[in-house]
Parts: sequence; structure tokens; C-alpha cells
Amino acid sequence: MIWEVFRQEKPGDYHRHVGNVHAPDREMAKLFAQIQHARRMQTNSLWVVPQSEIGEVDPEDAAFGGRTDKSYRWAMTYNDIDASFAKEVEDSEAEQREAARTRREQLESEGDA
Amino acid sequence: MDIEAVKDQAGPRQFGPNDDMPEEYRRAATRMIQFHANSEVMGGYLDKEFTRHAPSLDRKLANTAKVQDEIGHAQLLYRAAETLGVKTREEMLDELKNGEGKFLNCFHYPVDSWYEAPMIDFFVDGGAMRRQATLKSTSWTPYAHAMDKVCFEEGFHVKHGESILRELMRGSKATQERTQETFEEWWPRILQFFGPTNDESTHNDFAQEVGLKTTSNDELRNSFLNLYIPKAEKYGLEIPESPRVFERDDGTMAVREDDLDWEEFWTIAKNDYEGSHEQIGSRRRRQEAVAWVRESLDGWEGSAAGTSQAAD
Repeated sequence: MIWEVFRQEKPGDYHRHVGNVHAPDREMAKLFAQIQHARRMQTNSLWVVPQSEIGEVDPEDAAFGGRTDKSYRWAMTYNDIDASFAKEVEDSEAEQREAARTRREQLESEGDA
Repeated sequence: MDIEAVKDQAGPRQFGPNDDMPEEYRRAATRMIQFHANSEVMGGYLDKEFTRHAPSLDRKLANTAKVQDEIGHAQLLYRAAETLGVKTREEMLDELKNGEGKFLNCFHYPVDSWYEAPMIDFFVDGGAMRRQATLKSTSWTPYAHAMDKVCFEEGFHVKHGESILRELMRGSKATQERTQETFEEWWPRILQFFGPTNDESTHNDFAQEVGLKTTSNDELRNSFLNLYIPKAEKYGLEIPESPRVFERDDGTMAVREDDLDWEEFWTIAKNDYEGSHEQIGSRRRRQEAVAWVRESLDGWEGSAAGTSQAAD
């Protein structure tokens, strides 16, 4: 049986997927996860989840974020408005800009493929 | 963990579902997150009115996207509240429906014109975003994680709201006057958004001591005034003479409390204002109208449970 492993580095962080292990049951999966995915790594907590319990949506199933123009959903669209007056608005726009950039790269690389 | 240990250890993202938190902490956090979640729902319902009034397709699309975001924020927050083990999502939604659930004062006033859009989408959302940014450092980790996603999206709301204000204040003289009138109506409500200055109530003290809140209402109102009064003035809005806003000796801004209608505020806090009944009632009727969707989902969940293996 395969168990997916999620590691949290510090308290308060997200648990991030780091890999998986073979194990006959949950207890063994926790033990193997510690050895394979937490040893020598900064770790605060580990989750193990049976692989069969994970549902996946991949690019074959869905065009993530859609393919139609939804520029009205992005802070950057309103570029006649200066976001820098409030740090939280500026930060939000920066996060959106980064998300849009990585998404554009993904779409371009799919276009190449 | 006892309450003294919680106060000692309190810090950003310090506690989570694996910690044995005292009842008092879990109740306070539930009260706060439930209020926040309810406000997202009621803000979303209020905001959807603007889709009808929006003057262009772009504005209608943006407004619809914003309403979707707000309802999504409510879902994140109800989940974060559920992790405290005090109330289920269903219980919280029932409380909102039957009028027990509390939510932000500004969402107790029904809206019926496009001029009101920037009052909510720029000033109220701007104030809310100030507050939400500080809550990324709340001590309850699932709440902080919800804030990461919420703040990611809110930048669009605030900028879009400002863009509407800018457009209106560049319109005809009549449009500018209507916007100014609407601003005067909303300004006192917006100032009350952060609660009374002098009433740092016991809830607030406790919430700060255990790290649920990191910034006082007074500090938030002060920073809001410093940022948003210049914005209002930039677009040609005049700040009404009353309620009086003044600078304190330390250079921070404050409001003369006596100029605000606290009776109305406390009536709203009890969900007993005329607008409260209207907003809660109209949401309840819409909820009832789509009960069949929820029921069919529940029916499906029941019938599908335990059959996933067989379906494979």
C-alpha cells in the first residue's frame, strides 16, 4: 500500500507534499515517513494519507483557471489605480502578479508542447 | 494547556488543531472567526445587488467575480472555525439564518444604487483588508491560513472599488453630487466599522492576550483614517464636518465618539435594526429557494458513501 507524505517544517506552516512510502498500515507509514522524508530535514509534523484516498484533477480534466479572458478578476487590470498607498493592497497585487506570471509560463509551455 | 500557558506562548500561527487548547480560547476564537465568516456571507449577499446596477459589462463581470470570492472566503472561514471543535458549519449557518449570528455593522444597510458600490468595495473592503492583513499573524493557524488566501484575492476588490470611485468622481456634476451624498450617508457607518474607540471590551483584551488579534481596533481605525481620508480627498470627496475627525497629540487620527449614533450601532450588534431584519430575511428566503440543491447534494453524499470501492 502506498501512503503520500506531507511535511510541515515549522509550526504554523502548511503541510507540503514531499513524496510517498510503501507501508502495510498507518503506523508503519508514519515510521517510514519519518525515516525517508524527515530525517535530517527540518520537520515539525508529518501527515500520511493513503494514496487511494486522494482525488486528483489534472490538466486533461480541466483547464485550470479557464481559457477565457478573465482579466477583470486581477488587481493588475486596474492599473490606473495606485496600490502602493496601503501595504496590504500592494502585497496582494504582488502575489497576484506572481501567480499570473507563473500561470502564463505554464500556458506558454503547454503551447510549445 | 491552561490559559496562562496560552498567554505565555501566544504568537503568530502558534496554535493548531493538535494542541490541547482551553475552552476559553476555543470559544473566543470561534466567536471571532464565525463573526468573520458570517460577514463574508452577508457582504457577498449585499454586494451582489451591485451586479444589477453596474453600468457596464466589465463592471458586472468584476462584481460577480468579487461576490464569488466573498462566498469562497466564508467557506474557508467556516472550516477554520470548525477546527476549534466548538460549532459545526451547519450550526453556524443555522445561527446566521435564524438571526442569532452576528456580522459587520456595514452589512446591515440594504443598498439600492451604484453610488453605494465604492462605499462598500473601496472603503469597507479597504478597512476590512487592513484588519485581515494583521490577522495573518493570528495565533490560530487555520485562521491565518485562511487569511493568506483571502488577502491574496482582496487586492483586486479594493483596487476595483477605488476604480469605481474614480470613475464616478470624474463623471457629470450630478454624478459627483450623488456620490458625495452617498458618501456622507456611509461615512459614519464606515467609522463605526472598527467599533467604539474607548471601548476596548473584555473580548478584545482577551483576544489580544492570547494572540488571536494582534492589533487593537483603535490602531486599525487610526491607520485606516490616515490612508483613506487622503484617498477620498484625492477624488474630490469632502469629509463631512460631523462626525468630527481630529488629530491627537501623538499625531494619530481619532473620531469624536459622541458624534456617532451608538444606539443604532448597538441595535445592529443585536441584529435588531430594520436593515438587519431585511438583510437576514432576504438571505434566508434565497437560502430556502435553493434548499433542493443542498438536499440533493446531501442525498448523493449519503448514497455514495461506502460505494467508492465498488465503483472502482
